[in-house]
Amino acid sequence: MDDAGATIAIDADVRRLADIRAFIRARAEAAGAEPGHRDDLVQAVDELVTNVIEHGYGERPGRVEVEVERAPSGLVVRIRDGAPAFDPSSVPTPRLDLPLAERPFGGMGVHLARTLTDAMRHRILPDGGNEVTLEKALN
Amino acid sequence: MDITTEQPTEGVAVIALSGELDASNFESVIEAVRTIHAAGARTLVLDLAGLTYMGSSGLVAIHAAAMVMRGEEPPSTEDGWDVFHGLGHRVEAGGERPPILIAGAPQNVDRVLERTGMKRLFDTHPDRAAALAAAAGAG
Repeated sequence: MDDAGATIAIDADVRRLADIRAFIRARAEAAGAEPGHRDDLVQAVDELVTNVIEHGYGERPGRVEVEVERAPSGLVVRIRDGAPAFDPSSVPTPRLDLPLAERPFGGMGVHLARTLTDAMRHRILPDGGNEVTLEKALN
Repeated sequence: MDITTEQPTEGVAVIALSGELDASNFESVIEAVRTIHAAGARTLVLDLAGLTYMGSSGLVAIHAAAMVMRGEEPPSTEDGWDVFHGLGHRVEAGGERPPILIAGAPQNVDRVLERTGMKRLFDTHPDRAAALAAAAGAG
């Protein structure tokens, strides 16, 4: 099994999301993650990178870097960007009990990312930009 | 992602999605729903059996599809993401279930519907045939 960390960097473009998912899927499989846990991590990373592209950068160009590392607890993923400061772990839990007529349009990405992983932390990078760290057990 | 559309009976359309549904292509699903609604369909079977991934953008597509099928215009992402996500959609309180039957959602897609409280808002069926039978029964 390959224990080395690995990194992928993309332009902030939603057309690159499939590459991010393929990267996480491959790393999780290489680490021996159980399929359900692998899918959870793929989804969590996809949701957060989507938010960085759509909300963090908006129409502006930028880069997003995703790093995966083995840890005793499982896999650790760090998502780094150069967008304005935003802490997804501060987003309140959305109400899930509303009828369709009263539900906001979207806004479920962070909720999914938070509930599909074991831990989510945010810090501002020394040179600006954000780093969100996700932890996920392998099984 | 591939989208195929069929109209097996008068007023009933099937839109089948395969591949990965994410932020790069969810708007093409809404476009397909607009097309079948304009062509006279008033019940939609959304066949998700071919999906290998659905991000939360897929929830936005389903929410928008419900509005389109009721003859309402969903918000546009071109108005900006803040406006887009801020809008709840306005219909009379206590409205009936949307005229959309969700069919064949694979486990990882079903989980997204379940965890976000969307599943209970729609009629879901194990496959397209069951959904079509239910649509015929309801019509």
